[in-house]
Amino acid sequence: MAEEKNLSGIEKIKQASDALRGEITKSLKDEITGAIRESDQALIKFHGMYQQDDRDRREERAEKKLDRLYTFMIRLRLPGGFLTADQWIAMHEIAGQNSTGVIKITTRQTIQLHGLVKSHIKPTITAFNEVLLDSIATCGDVNRNVLCSSHPKQSPIHEEIFDYADKISTMLKPKTKAYYEIWLDDEKIADKKDEEDPLYQDRYLPRKFKIAIVIPPNNDVDVFTNDLGLIAIIENNELKGFNIAIGGGMSTTHGNPATYARLGTVIGFVEKGEQTMKAIYEVATVQRDYGNRSDRKLARLKYTVDKLGATWYKEEVERRAGITIQEARPFSFNERRDYYGWQQNDKGVWYYTVYVESGRITDDEEQAVKTALLEVAKTGKCSFRFTANQNVIISDVVAADKDHINSILEQFHITSYTENTSLLRKNSIACVALPTCPLALAEGQRYLPVLIAKIEPLLDKYGLAEYDIIMRMTGCPNGCARPAAAEIAFVGTAPGKYNLQLGGDRVGMRLNKVYKENLDESAILTELDGLFNRFSAEKTNDESFGDFAMRKNLVTA
Amino acid sequence: MLAEHKLKILQDLISSASKEELGWMNNYISSQLTPAATDHPAAQKLTANKVTIAYGTETGNSKRVATDFAAKAKKIGINAKLVSLDQYRLNDLPKEEYFLTVISTQGEGEPPEAAKKFYDHIHNNGFKLEKLKYSVLALGDTSYPLYCKTGEDVDEQLQRLGGNRIVDIQKCDVEYDEDAHHWFEKVLKKLAETDSKTPAVFTAPSTATEKKAVGKKSYIGKVLTNIDLNDRGSNKQTWHIEIAADDVEYECGDSIGIVPENAVLTVEKILSLSKGINAGKKVEYKKELFTVFDLLKYKLNISHLITAVIKRYAAIVGKEITETKIDLPDLLKTYPVKDAAQFEEVLAILNPIAPRLYTLASSPAAHNGEVHVIVAKDMFTVNEEKKYGVCSAFLGMQKINNEIKFFIQKNKRFRLPAPDKDIIMIGPGTGIAPYRSFLAERDATGATGRNWLFFGEQHFVTDFLYQTELQNWFETGVLTKINLAFSRDQPEKIYVQHRMWQQGAELYNWIQSGAHIYLCGKKDPMSVDVEHTLVEIIEKYGEKTNEEAKEYFLQMQNEGRYSEDVY
Ligand code: SRM
Ligand SMILES: Cc1cc2nc3c(=O)[nH]c(=O)nc-3n(C[C@H](O)[C@H](O)[C@H](O)COP(=O)(O)OP(=O)(O)OC[C@H]3O[C@@H](n4cnc5c(N)ncnc54)[C@H](O)[C@@H]3O)c2cc1C
Ligand SMILES: Cc1cc2nc3c(=O)[nH]c(=O)nc-3n(C[C@H](O)[C@H](O)[C@H](O)COP(=O)(O)O)c2cc1C
Ligand code: SF4
Repeated sequence: MAEEKNLSGIEKIKQASDALRGEITKSLKDEITGAIRESDQALIKFHGMYQQDDRDRREERAEKKLDRLYTFMIRLRLPGGFLTADQWIAMHEIAGQNSTGVIKITTRQTIQLHGLVKSHIKPTITAFNEVLLDSIATCGDVNRNVLCSSHPKQSPIHEEIFDYADKISTMLKPKTKAYYEIWLDDEKIADKKDEEDPLYQDRYLPRKFKIAIVIPPNNDVDVFTNDLGLIAIIENNELKGFNIAIGGGMSTTHGNPATYARLGTVIGFVEKGEQTMKAIYEVATVQRDYGNRSDRKLARLKYTVDKLGATWYKEEVERRAGITIQEARPFSFNERRDYYGWQQNDKGVWYYTVYVESGRITDDEEQAVKTALLEVAKTGKCSFRFTANQNVIISDVVAADKDHINSILEQFHITSYTENTSLLRKNSIACVALPTCPLALAEGQRYLPVLIAKIEPLLDKYGLAEYDIIMRMTGCPNGCARPAAAEIAFVGTAPGKYNLQLGGDRVGMRLNKVYKENLDESAILTELDGLFNRFSAEKTNDESFGDFAMRKNLVTA
Repeated sequence: MLAEHKLKILQDLISSASKEELGWMNNYISSQLTPAATDHPAAQKLTANKVTIAYGTETGNSKRVATDFAAKAKKIGINAKLVSLDQYRLNDLPKEEYFLTVISTQGEGEPPEAAKKFYDHIHNNGFKLEKLKYSVLALGDTSYPLYCKTGEDVDEQLQRLGGNRIVDIQKCDVEYDEDAHHWFEKVLKKLAETDSKTPAVFTAPSTATEKKAVGKKSYIGKVLTNIDLNDRGSNKQTWHIEIAADDVEYECGDSIGIVPENAVLTVEKILSLSKGINAGKKVEYKKELFTVFDLLKYKLNISHLITAVIKRYAAIVGKEITETKIDLPDLLKTYPVKDAAQFEEVLAILNPIAPRLYTLASSPAAHNGEVHVIVAKDMFTVNEEKKYGVCSAFLGMQKINNEIKFFIQKNKRFRLPAPDKDIIMIGPGTGIAPYRSFLAERDATGATGRNWLFFGEQHFVTDFLYQTELQNWFETGVLTKINLAFSRDQPEKIYVQHRMWQQGAELYNWIQSGAHIYLCGKKDPMSVDVEHTLVEIIEKYGEKTNEEAKEYFLQMQNEGRYSEDVY
């Protein structure tokens, strides 16, 4: 089994935490600081929160003899990214009262609120709880928010597949009642047996663990970037089961060759239902038992697979689950996108996908997304689904209500904005990065929109405006916007500096490679100008930019 | 004159003596010269007349003087009783024979906190004091508009009640010792007259040695830093100002006095309403020559004029003026002067700018050669117009390296106890100032007593004054305990007194084990509420009746275990 010697600090904290309680209640009572105690900072992640501080404000506050502006970011657990209209309204209010007011859609189909001060955490969680929302296990060394292809038009049996997201999330949820005791003032549980956790025990997993379900042929969730990917196998409109891919992960660390991005390896097919659930559960237990617990940089499942071999991993899962994992079924992807604007599913129900820049739902001079979506929610005639590209789908609108909702969208310039936004922008995502992300080396969502405005003219110049190119930016190599799976990626190395990565394919089945390092803006623009020039001249008819880069050996595969 | 060896002894004695000792010796020797001290029968007789010396003090000066006199009186055989006015049994007043009052003036001409009861009593009750023979020594400061007002009031009022004044009121400025002794001399003479046996001549001891010890030396300091401690988005502005002044001498608990300059804008506004006076014209004010501009900028109080001044203004412009709280620009706007000459008359009737006090936030041990203050921007509105306090605005504008003139205002009533004693510090808002001084001092000197702070403001995120410094003291154990009340971070308002109430049990334990309690900050309503809460805590956790609790609290004050510095 995994080396138990020299456990990493976090491992010790987890085991000593009394089922994730630690000293959190005490920490909340420390009046003199907005922060919580060191070890508790690791533990609240399991409750769905991160302690952060506004890095833009450090210097000025220090001069004012004020401590850092510590606040908390909370992330909801929304399997498949689904919200009812009432839940939307509640979320809108909570965001206004207790956070910065910006509702941030993440690349894992959920939302984050930033800027909660310590004293506002409990009220926030209580308010969410009232509309049956929680933030359990959205961070920490556990199974994270489960992704699922978001658009119901994707398949007539979308709903059946979609339900797996919730089932899986529930199955892999930690059993501890700490969340309810600490944040919702529930009675302390009398009998510890009630929260015994055969899956996580007292160690939890060595690292975060991510699952995504995809419905081919649209790989909108980037299924292969997850620790565990489930590819729905549909034969004559019937769900058979899933191909299982294990060992996906984006993160690397600058200057640490032992770390690398990896796409999941398909290890075979399992029947839908119980078999699927068993397989998923045991993929997690194997990682729990064999994952690296001394070096967190090498603790993700991707390293466990490469250490023990995909075949061994598969057999170990079979043994534990008492099932046979069959040979993988054929599948194929032909796109990786959100379906913007009004779309209809097979049952004639309508969906409107709103383009939300960087997933930041807020009102600005161009458009009032936040108000618009609140007004839409107030009609009570729809639900909401978040996409893995940080957008939101106004969902399940019956034909009779479509015009009314559309008029609201028009009133707040949502429709025009979504329609007039360039293809490049709609195909791009950036991570949060500064000012809240403590790991950021460079800007992310604050900067990409600006950079795109300077790239768009270049595409126009070479007549490539109508060309799908998947472009992503992150403020560091952790890869929160899945840059390694993009055709063009900017990965932050230092303030204003990015590695330019090329060669990913259009559907997320080939990683890109570093093309040039530490480029500043002007260098980036010069490079892209040259590349687009060549691309427009030398590409074969519908060759994607990523494929072109590979064919021309711009980067070495 | 003295023989060698005697002279030697005397010189040794003097060279080894402290200022205080010298002062005492001085008095002792001179008292040895007075016949009374040798004339025993006379001394016996004298014990007959009873003299009460009652003092009302804020910062301790009146007490010093009164105590000094009581001692001297006793020495020459007068049966003198010394009492602080807040301890004085008001019913005794009609029974008094000789009643000497030493009282200072505070606020805008108000009596000291400790003398309020007495002051109101003699003003309210319609009783008679035929028997009373009295005299008043009034301490004050000519830099304040209402010089020695309280003393004057007491003097007049006692007469109205039928008392007879044996010696005229003596007003004393900052350097009060000489005038004070002068007054006491006259009083003793009067006593002598009424009692033949009393020594006819009393040579007042030379006060040379004591003079140096008192009075306000003014310093010129250089601004080192001036930062607004409130973060963006706060409703407040609170400046932390550090001033370098090498030779400065003070103790924790003292404050500094600063005479602000008026804003140039205001001065220009006034000039524009002056019916064309020449700003450069030299005019006389209090026997000194100034240009009109300098006079308005540096000397005269042109904001918030007191009623007396407004009356005089009305007389000059020959108008009926109803306003009570008004500043010069508004006055000139609504009731214009007829010409420059008349404007000049107005200049003459204005009072000098009064100094503003700021409790020191620095400690001699920790911030050698520096004084630190914390100044809250003072904002208020006069019929919809937003106005700012003169001095706070003036200090807020100070740039690094500016020179600032200030004096030290001693506060003997607000001192750290012995190093091993526990202290409980209550100070919302700028009330934190002396506690930064206390903590820095106790940190620097390694005092062993425990330190507990109650602080409050509006918002934790933007208004936690000195947060990082307090955190350091808390981590290093200098600050034993801290409780915070941020009034606007939750639906219901929470203030320091609420936190104190929550901590009641432990607070009472600290009190029982001899802790000293300090309260600093805005007088209304904070200080009143805090005092009530303290009494309630003593009542509840000491299992006392409300009366007993009040008594207990009073006891603490007498023992000097409860001190206030409120404004
Ligand atoms: C919000 C989000 C980016 C966004 O703009 O949408 C995000 C934001 C952060 N990620 Fe991430 N990650 C987000 C998706 C991802 C993804 C993409 C995905 O999962 O599809 C990845 C790459 C896939 C993977 O896991 O390999 C990702 C890989 C990381 C890593 C690297 C993990 C590793 O294997 O080393 C870290 C750093 C860590 O965990 O030590 C990280 C850490 C963080 C933290 C929490 C920084 C921290 O640890 O303090 C960032 C919070 C910034 C902020 O202020 O909000 N985030 N993070 C995404 C939230 C997803 C969610 O709802 O759960
Ligand atoms: C012992 C002591 C210690 C102190 N320590 C501190 C300290 O540490 N920090 C601190 O910030 N302060 C402290 N103060 C208060 C300080 O001395 C000043 O009183 C305060 O700064 C306001 O002065 P100012 O000149 O800015 O306002 P001013 O111009 O004197 O105005 C003060 C008030 O007078 C009224 N007023 C003035 N003009 C008008 C008008 N035209 N019409 C109507 N009303 C008017 C307003 O209510 C205004 O708020 C202390 C006071 C004392 C006595
Ligand atoms: C806040 C404050 C206000 C004062 N106001 C006046 C005043 O209006 N008139 C005056 O003559 N002296 C005033 N003074 C000066 C005091 O009366 C003087 O310092 C006196 O020596 C204090 O005596 P005490 O220590 O016994 O209180 C004031 C002093 C302070 C601290
Ligand atoms: S990629 Fe790096 S900078 Fe961006 S959010 Fe993730 S951790 Fe922060």
